[in-house]
Amino acid sequence: MRHKNIFLYYIQKFIVFVLSVLVLSVVVFYVSRLAPGDPLYSYYGDRVEKMSDSEREWAENQLGLNEPIHIQYIHWFANAIRGNFGISYKYKTDVIKIIGGRLPNTLILGGIGFVLIYVLALGLGILCTWYEDKWPDRLLCKIGTVTSCIPEFWLSIALIFLFSIKLKLLPSSGAYSIGNGENVIDRISHLTLPMTVVVVSHLWYYAYMIRNKLLEEVRTEYVLLAKSKGLSKKNILFKHCLRNIVPSYLSIMAISVPHILGGTYIVETVFSYPGIGTLSYESARYQDYNMLMALCILSGALVILCNIVVQIVNERIDPRMKKDEGLQVSEVIEIG
Amino acid sequence: MIVKGMVIIMADVLLDVQHLTHFFKINKNITIKAVDDISFQIRKGEIFGLVGESGSGKSTAARCIMNVYRPVSGKVIYKGINTCDPVEFRQNKKLLQTSRQFIFQDSTSSLNGRMKVEDIIAEPMQIHHVRPKRGTLRSEAEFQLYYVGLDKSYLDKYPYELSGGMRQRVAIARALSMEPELLVADEPIAALDVSIQAQIINLFKHLQKEHGFSILFIAHDLAVVKYLCDRVGVMYHGRLVEVAPTEELFENPKHPYTKALLSAIPVPDPRLERVKGAVN
Amino acid sequence: MKELLEIKNLSVSFNTLKGEIQAVRDVSLSLHEGEVLAIVGESGCGKSVLCKSIMKLLHDNAYIKSGSIIVDGVDITHYGRKDMERLRGRVFSMVFQDPMTSLNPTIPIGEQIAEAVRVHNPKMKKAEVYERVISMMDLVGIPDAEDRYKLYPYSFSGGMRQRSVMAIALASEPKILLADEPTTSLDVTIQAQILDLLKSLQKKLLTATILVSHDLGVVSRVADRVAVMYAGKIVELGTVEDIFYEPRHPYTWGLMRSLPSLAKKGQELYTIPGMPPTLINPPKGDAFACRNEYALAIDYEEMPPMFKISDTHYAATWLLDERAPKIAPPVGSIR
Repeated sequence: MRHKNIFLYYIQKFIVFVLSVLVLSVVVFYVSRLAPGDPLYSYYGDRVEKMSDSEREWAENQLGLNEPIHIQYIHWFANAIRGNFGISYKYKTDVIKIIGGRLPNTLILGGIGFVLIYVLALGLGILCTWYEDKWPDRLLCKIGTVTSCIPEFWLSIALIFLFSIKLKLLPSSGAYSIGNGENVIDRISHLTLPMTVVVVSHLWYYAYMIRNKLLEEVRTEYVLLAKSKGLSKKNILFKHCLRNIVPSYLSIMAISVPHILGGTYIVETVFSYPGIGTLSYESARYQDYNMLMALCILSGALVILCNIVVQIVNERIDPRMKKDEGLQVSEVIEIG
Repeated sequence: MIVKGMVIIMADVLLDVQHLTHFFKINKNITIKAVDDISFQIRKGEIFGLVGESGSGKSTAARCIMNVYRPVSGKVIYKGINTCDPVEFRQNKKLLQTSRQFIFQDSTSSLNGRMKVEDIIAEPMQIHHVRPKRGTLRSEAEFQLYYVGLDKSYLDKYPYELSGGMRQRVAIARALSMEPELLVADEPIAALDVSIQAQIINLFKHLQKEHGFSILFIAHDLAVVKYLCDRVGVMYHGRLVEVAPTEELFENPKHPYTKALLSAIPVPDPRLERVKGAVN
Repeated sequence: MKELLEIKNLSVSFNTLKGEIQAVRDVSLSLHEGEVLAIVGESGCGKSVLCKSIMKLLHDNAYIKSGSIIVDGVDITHYGRKDMERLRGRVFSMVFQDPMTSLNPTIPIGEQIAEAVRVHNPKMKKAEVYERVISMMDLVGIPDAEDRYKLYPYSFSGGMRQRSVMAIALASEPKILLADEPTTSLDVTIQAQILDLLKSLQKKLLTATILVSHDLGVVSRVADRVAVMYAGKIVELGTVEDIFYEPRHPYTWGLMRSLPSLAKKGQELYTIPGMPPTLINPPKGDAFACRNEYALAIDYEEMPPMFKISDTHYAATWLLDERAPKIAPPVGSIR
């Protein structure tokens, strides 16, 4: 590593993170002020309509709404840093409290779901590559094509019908039975069906991607050299090829992190699962700007964080990705 | 007298490259001097060879000459026009774009795979609104194709249906459709097989004789340059280390790099090679 | 001299959507201990396929149609993946055309050589492997081996990479080295270095080498014997002297005559008319007949057998039949 100090390297990455979040917050704030709807509503709700002009002015003064927008932003940001994103118009309580109540549910559903997807996809992709064009590969590809055509909501309903109504094995809605929130087994039984839907509907996209990337990799010349020096097929696939596709796979993973927060919306709705997905949808629908801003910044910061982590990991795997790691020979050759 | 002699030479010069320099900035700390203060001239009707190894800057020089890159400093004077000057370039845009043509090494990627041969050849004429001499664009394309040794059945084919040699012929036909005065060919035969190379070299030679245009011929294969070119420039690490008439360069190389380059080429003569190997 | 490798009537085909491509057709060849055999031909003549089929590195759509490959007296024609893995690296090993792509970009060079050492010596100690890698790097002329052990391929130049590839290929001391256009993508001066290295290593280690090339200059520099291939068949086989000074096949003549380095300035370069045939439906008779100005009527009807000219020199052309008209060869008089 060319950085003299590994500490400095992480500091640098951290500064990049903070700056990105800062820029994000500016954009989010300005856009929400530009969006239709009166910001007063987000604090006073329907009462705004009953206000007299003087009351209105007082309220605006109180909230700093008649100040220039950059001053408003600074006020808002100062509060946000302290964890105060204001009051949700719809739920009439602190935004942070609402999100705090919902976030664990989503993290469990989306987080575990996506970890499962990534791991299973990697496994399936490798399996398909190993048996390229033989029956296991063909079978898996066919199954994948069919299942990825099934819409999420349809699959959800079909599963509810089968497991909850016919077989009465698993509950059809909620995150836990009332008064039973601490029971792990109860939680798992509530989680099984939504998790299945999340995994099955997203798995194949990633599995195909892994398969195609690996097949591309298997056809490269360095694999021929590795073969000709006598390495086994297993060794080549796991030590050589996998190593080279992991960076791009990780990048895709980082970008798809928002799915964890928002992408489970349909599943959350069908299973009445209290998560962030439904929350963001509702806050957009009811113009609950405080909530929306908090959610935007939360998911945005998460994406930025994931990207930076992935960048660090990728630089470890593939030294060419380091921007300042001197000159790349291939570039010199191009100049010709 | 000297002044008069100069004048005659100057009138004869088609392309005059003066102190051409081009850098590539890779990042804050690293800049590559791809072309470093090179000067040479190409006369009318001359085949000028530019040789050097990969990374020596010969392609960059060609691209600067063809206004693909804007050089960092130096001048390229073509028929008295300084092509590096944006104002002069704009004033003479049509002349510069029609009378100078570029042929690339890899005709697979330099020909649009979704265009028919006919359209590829006719496109420059359409762009510059040149009225085809032979009536229609198609008959013009047919004529150009015939000229490079392909019959009209190829007009409706796509590049991927052709072999490497044929594609290079199409690229040459496209360049010739504008009746250029300067042809810049960047490694035009490097990707071809020996027997096909010979066909294309012959074609170049033949066309040059017929049309009288000048060629800037870029290659790394010295044997080809020796056979085809009138004068040769040798590039090494961005510098033009030697310029000389072909025979002189091959018989009496002056720069140590030229000597190294000449002795490195394997000759298809085993006994000679064995002697060389013993010396090494 | 012992025969290390013997190929008997080998035919290799590819299954494609357009039909069967007969890339190698009825090739017989043998490689002796410690010699350099060059296979010359234009692209698509099957020289690369021949090499890869010996090591079974071809893709799944390729198959050996007939014939046999015998290595060190053992028939390996029907060996499976596991058996081949045992042989690769130790019995034969390969160097590829483009050193830019034939090294794994994400593994340090030293590690990649170490892998090749470890494959066939799994019990070797770490320090021993390291020492062996360093000595291999020294052998192929990579200076400051210890410092470069940890470097990644991207910080190596093309020549250094090809040296690394050779270190990998020679790490388990193979008896046969197959070099597929090892210098084609390198610069002339680097090419000369690599060729000299190849030759000196070959003398030092006595590795029998098959060199695939399209460049007759390269071939004359390193080869002992030469096989000329055209349209999937060997058309002429002999020592370098036989091929370069006394070529007998019209295709070899054509190749030699179209070289600009042998041509005189101002003279038109000789060209072989036409194109090589497609190998999906190779023509009946001699595949070269339609481009051959000396073609006889029988060339279009029947494939010529290999005629023996001397103990070392063979050519497949009907011109060598005793009933054929005598033709003075247009090249080769430069003895």
